[in-house]
Amino acid sequence: MTDADDEFVPEKPDRLWSLTFPPLVWAVHFLASYLTAAIWCAKAGPQAGDADPVRVAIAAYTVVALTLIAVFGWIAFRKHRTGEATLPHDFDSRADQHRFLGFATTLLAILSFVATVFTALVVVFVGSCH
Amino acid sequence: MNSFPTQSALDPAGQGAESIAQLFYWMSGGAALIWCLVIGLAVYAIRRPQAHHYRLTRLLVIGGGAVVPTVVLTCLLSYGLSMMPELQRPAPEGSLTVHVHGVRWWWRVEYLGPSGQPIATANEIRLPVDQPIEFKLFSEDVIHSFWIPSLGGKVDMIPGRTTRLKLHPTRVGQFRGVCAEYCGGAHAQMNFDVVVSDAATFERWLADQSAPASEPETDLAVAGKAVFSQRGCGACHAIRGTAADGLVGPDLTHLGSRLRLGASLLDNTRQNLRRWITQTHQVKPKVEMPAFEALPEDELTALVAYLEQLK
Amino acid sequence: MSAPEIRQDPPLDDRARRLLKAWETPRGWRYWSAVNNSEVGLWYTIAAFTFFLFGGVLALVMRIQLAFPENDFLTADQYNQIFTMHGSVMMFLFAVPILEAISIMLLPEMMGARDLPFPRLSAYGFWCFVIGGVFVCGSLFFGVGPQGGWFMYPPMTTEYQSGVGVDIWLLGLSFIEVASIAAAVELIVGVLKCRPPGMRLNLIPLYAWYILVVAVMILFAFPPLIAGDMLMELERALDWPFFDASRGGDPLLWQHLFWIFGHPEVYIVFLPSIALVAMIVPTFARTPMVGYGWIVLAAVGTGFLSFGLWVHHMFTTGLPGITIGIFSAASEAVAIPTGVQIFCFIATLLVGRVTRSVCLLFVLAGLATFIIGGLTGVMVALAPFDYQAHDTYFIVGHLHYVLVGGTIFPIVAGFYYFYPLVRGKQLSERLGTIAFWLMLIGFNVSFFPMHLTGLIGMPRRIYTYPAGMGFETLNLVSSIGAFILAAGFVVFLWDVLRPKSKQDLAPRNVWNAGTLEWLAEVPDKPWGVRSIPIVKSRYPLWDQENFVRDVDEGNFYLSDAEETLRETLVTTTVDATPIQCLRVPGPTFLTMFAALFTGGVFIFSTYHWWWAAGVSGVLSLVTILTWLWTGTALIPEKDRKDVGLGLELPTYVSGPRAVGWWAMFITMLGDMTAFVSLVFGYFFYWTIHEDFPPQDARGPGILWPLVSMACVLFAWAATLLAKRFNRQDSAPRFYGSIAAGATAAVVGALALVGACYFHQMDPTRHVYPAIVCALVLWTVVHLAVGVTMHLYCLARRAASRMTSRYDADIVNVTLYWHFMAVTSLITSLVISLFPLVS
Repeated sequence: MTDADDEFVPEKPDRLWSLTFPPLVWAVHFLASYLTAAIWCAKAGPQAGDADPVRVAIAAYTVVALTLIAVFGWIAFRKHRTGEATLPHDFDSRADQHRFLGFATTLLAILSFVATVFTALVVVFVGSCH
Repeated sequence: MNSFPTQSALDPAGQGAESIAQLFYWMSGGAALIWCLVIGLAVYAIRRPQAHHYRLTRLLVIGGGAVVPTVVLTCLLSYGLSMMPELQRPAPEGSLTVHVHGVRWWWRVEYLGPSGQPIATANEIRLPVDQPIEFKLFSEDVIHSFWIPSLGGKVDMIPGRTTRLKLHPTRVGQFRGVCAEYCGGAHAQMNFDVVVSDAATFERWLADQSAPASEPETDLAVAGKAVFSQRGCGACHAIRGTAADGLVGPDLTHLGSRLRLGASLLDNTRQNLRRWITQTHQVKPKVEMPAFEALPEDELTALVAYLEQLK
Repeated sequence: MSAPEIRQDPPLDDRARRLLKAWETPRGWRYWSAVNNSEVGLWYTIAAFTFFLFGGVLALVMRIQLAFPENDFLTADQYNQIFTMHGSVMMFLFAVPILEAISIMLLPEMMGARDLPFPRLSAYGFWCFVIGGVFVCGSLFFGVGPQGGWFMYPPMTTEYQSGVGVDIWLLGLSFIEVASIAAAVELIVGVLKCRPPGMRLNLIPLYAWYILVVAVMILFAFPPLIAGDMLMELERALDWPFFDASRGGDPLLWQHLFWIFGHPEVYIVFLPSIALVAMIVPTFARTPMVGYGWIVLAAVGTGFLSFGLWVHHMFTTGLPGITIGIFSAASEAVAIPTGVQIFCFIATLLVGRVTRSVCLLFVLAGLATFIIGGLTGVMVALAPFDYQAHDTYFIVGHLHYVLVGGTIFPIVAGFYYFYPLVRGKQLSERLGTIAFWLMLIGFNVSFFPMHLTGLIGMPRRIYTYPAGMGFETLNLVSSIGAFILAAGFVVFLWDVLRPKSKQDLAPRNVWNAGTLEWLAEVPDKPWGVRSIPIVKSRYPLWDQENFVRDVDEGNFYLSDAEETLRETLVTTTVDATPIQCLRVPGPTFLTMFAALFTGGVFIFSTYHWWWAAGVSGVLSLVTILTWLWTGTALIPEKDRKDVGLGLELPTYVSGPRAVGWWAMFITMLGDMTAFVSLVFGYFFYWTIHEDFPPQDARGPGILWPLVSMACVLFAWAATLLAKRFNRQDSAPRFYGSIAAGATAAVVGALALVGACYFHQMDPTRHVYPAIVCALVLWTVVHLAVGVTMHLYCLARRAASRMTSRYDADIVNVTLYWHFMAVTSLITSLVISLFPLVS
């Protein structure tokens, strides 16, 4: 692949931090879930022990977060598939850099997806503040 | 030579400890298998000089590195989480409730008597078998952690907070509890005894404990009672039914009935009781109780006779 | 055997001679004024390794004590000090610093840079580290060492340990944490801005990816601990009751702050070592790393997930089941990226044709050991199992498998791998093999039994245990293993230290590796590379034709130093296009003195010698200002310069393209993290109290904090204007707005202090006034720094060291003020308005 390959790539320069979007979504989801649970259990739940509102809230966060991660993942996947090149994206061209960022972001999106599902799994099994 | 009962998490005698020990064996087996496979593969990779095809190894990274671990971890996490509600759920309303306070470096234990009056003891917890027991945990100074390995997991005792723990013994026997959170000086010697017995034995014991101290009968013991009060022991220790009402140290009302001394450090024998009083800091360095090294021999004998008969 | 001196270097041409002169290492006693990455990196490595040996000796002393039941080799006090120091030394003085040391030494070489962008900052960090480290370790010899454990849980450490031990720990290590953050700033800017032309994101050496992730982690992980240290020292010195439950405080806040640092910390020390493995494995497999993208995934993914694990150190503190579950889930998830890397390494070995060497043996030992630690980690991450395993020897076993397998074995592999690069001689394969077996066997004999010791009931941190409980044999075996392990290190140490003057120099690129650091000549030249190459591959030495020759003949960039100044290239973050010829400063003693005086502030404060601390503080301020004044943002003699290959680059850049701007930005991100930790504290107290602020408590009111906020926002606007007026070269208006800004900032600070003073808030009475005062204190100190910066810019302009064209100072100060404005906004709004809605 040479510079001619670069024509596949949009003009807009790549950004390093686009890599962090999927895990950032995980982080926000994680923090929101933790804070909701912690505040609810500290302020409202200790007597009843019941945490159904927390379960509902975390379920809602999860739907939003997974959708966002899926969107970021899809965008990244299309970056990865730009043009005709295949892995390992190690050519000295803007195009391969673009694909590489797409590939790494796709992987991060998958990981973030799994990690977010793991967080959500908690309220499937645990439903009280005890 | 002192002898101590087991404090092993692998010798479970309670519901929590049993399910956790089982979990441990399963996980260990799985871990051993995974380790052998991965390291086997690594050694093979180094020893086989011929190159493998790139595409094959990509499958390895995707399958072995990502897919298999994700599946295994999802199953494991689900299993672990499904154990949580039972472990975290408090004992049902009306279950026996025991209050335990961590104090540097011993344990203040309180039961509620039949009429709701608190029954104080120290460094020894007796429990009825086959029923859930709720523990309320407190700390009076630093952070401690209350742990009876044979019965179940541990929970920290934190100043300003009340924590709780449910245990459900399934087997009669003697066990040892420990402080699991580093709490300074004599942390290593902050232990306690646990006796699980059938419900009738337990009720009898609790009734005995709720009674005030027995009056000394022998002359020696009567003299010992006087020594106890003259030497100011009552400033720190309480003996219910006497003037001694100190709260700084362990309640001694039924000291004679306890299995061990010094927070499960020495067997409760006459010889050890003498050592404890006179050589306190050799036996348990950093302990807060002052040593009574200079106590005259006759006073010591009398004091020990008095304490021994506090059954 | 040919002696090194027989070797003939080709004669140097004029260009090379000038370059050499620019990068010459100072001689004689002035050697210690060196700031170049190869010197500082080497000192740093040696110092960190010395602390490692010290920590190791402490471990052996503990193992002697525990070899037998009821042993009286050590007293409780001694043992408690020793285990505290063992943990603290290994974590703060070895594990984190050694990674920074190795990175400072090697990262520029891997990127074909001449130096890191801020060599004096590295040197300052190094001297801080040495001074702080010696101070903390020294305390042990006077019997006043800290004995609160490396985790320092209050209230034991706030109310029950009155000696200076805890203060030594808090202040000494805070000082070192500052050094760590300095190194993190340096490394982030290094990776982002100092890559060789052409080294795009998809071509960066994996080591640099890892270091980038780790440095960012340091930036977000260390500040919460610094905030915690500050709260604890305020409680100890001034009796502000942050962790005292009887006055509304809570010991658990410390645990949160400590472990928000403490868990990422584990990955901060693990990832760089894995980064070494990622450099070593392709070399010996003779093939590029398989799954480069996967490794980047693993590094970045681990970096993120590691911040969602901290509560798994607090599973037994009685938190709600949901909270525990959430952290248990993240703790399991982090195993996925960790596993991916291991499979990438194995896949690489499978694809390539493996050359055996001691390096690879240690890599294999690292993997075998670390995987056990990882698997037990998965076990304890499951909360129910942790209820039993927590705070027992099972954890001691687990964490040593992780840290020794994940950190120490790879570092030893790295020593064998990089030693020829740094010292020009190879280490012995024979001694290495002996050391390998001793270490591997010794380690496993020592630590494997601990898993069992823990599960049969032995808690951690006990200095003695009774006989007859099944602990004796296991402990004796562990102690014997520890000495075998130590013997392995003795052999290794001998191999490193043994005289090698008769040994042949190693050939250049001895392992036939493919990455840039192996361009280094033997013996090495201080210039790093003869010319800064254009990179087109992940392994340029393997893939690019005539690469070494072209570099050596000076056919790339910056092969000359016409002005005999130290220069390196700055490139863009993503595409690595050259944008600046950066002049980096040379040797100076200023950094050493600055560290000495800064150290004085911390050390004198420990003993409450406030006058001495104050004097030391003033001296350190003067030294640092002198350093900035004489060494930063210097106006160049010409605006642009030819760097070779027909490329002309600016010599002075300000704003987001400049490395200084990035350093300020990154530092302030860390600073904000510490501030957010304090704000977290405020809301944490709100969650645990029924009514917060308490009914009867005096607050700061609404008026004064809002007045302060208005003043600070005015000062911020004035700073922005000052930047613009400076650009317009309108001197009177520049001076006017700077003066107005500084005045407003002072008024803003006074208003905040006034809010506390006029409402008679007593921070010793309850945690509410205490946390409000802590926020105020933080903001006021930052305002003081902001005003100092104003005055500095004023003086710079007056002295013509800053002009409308060369305006980096005011641009960076403006950046600081953006963060200042946010800090003030949050502080004022939280302390004044939150009580109304809570």
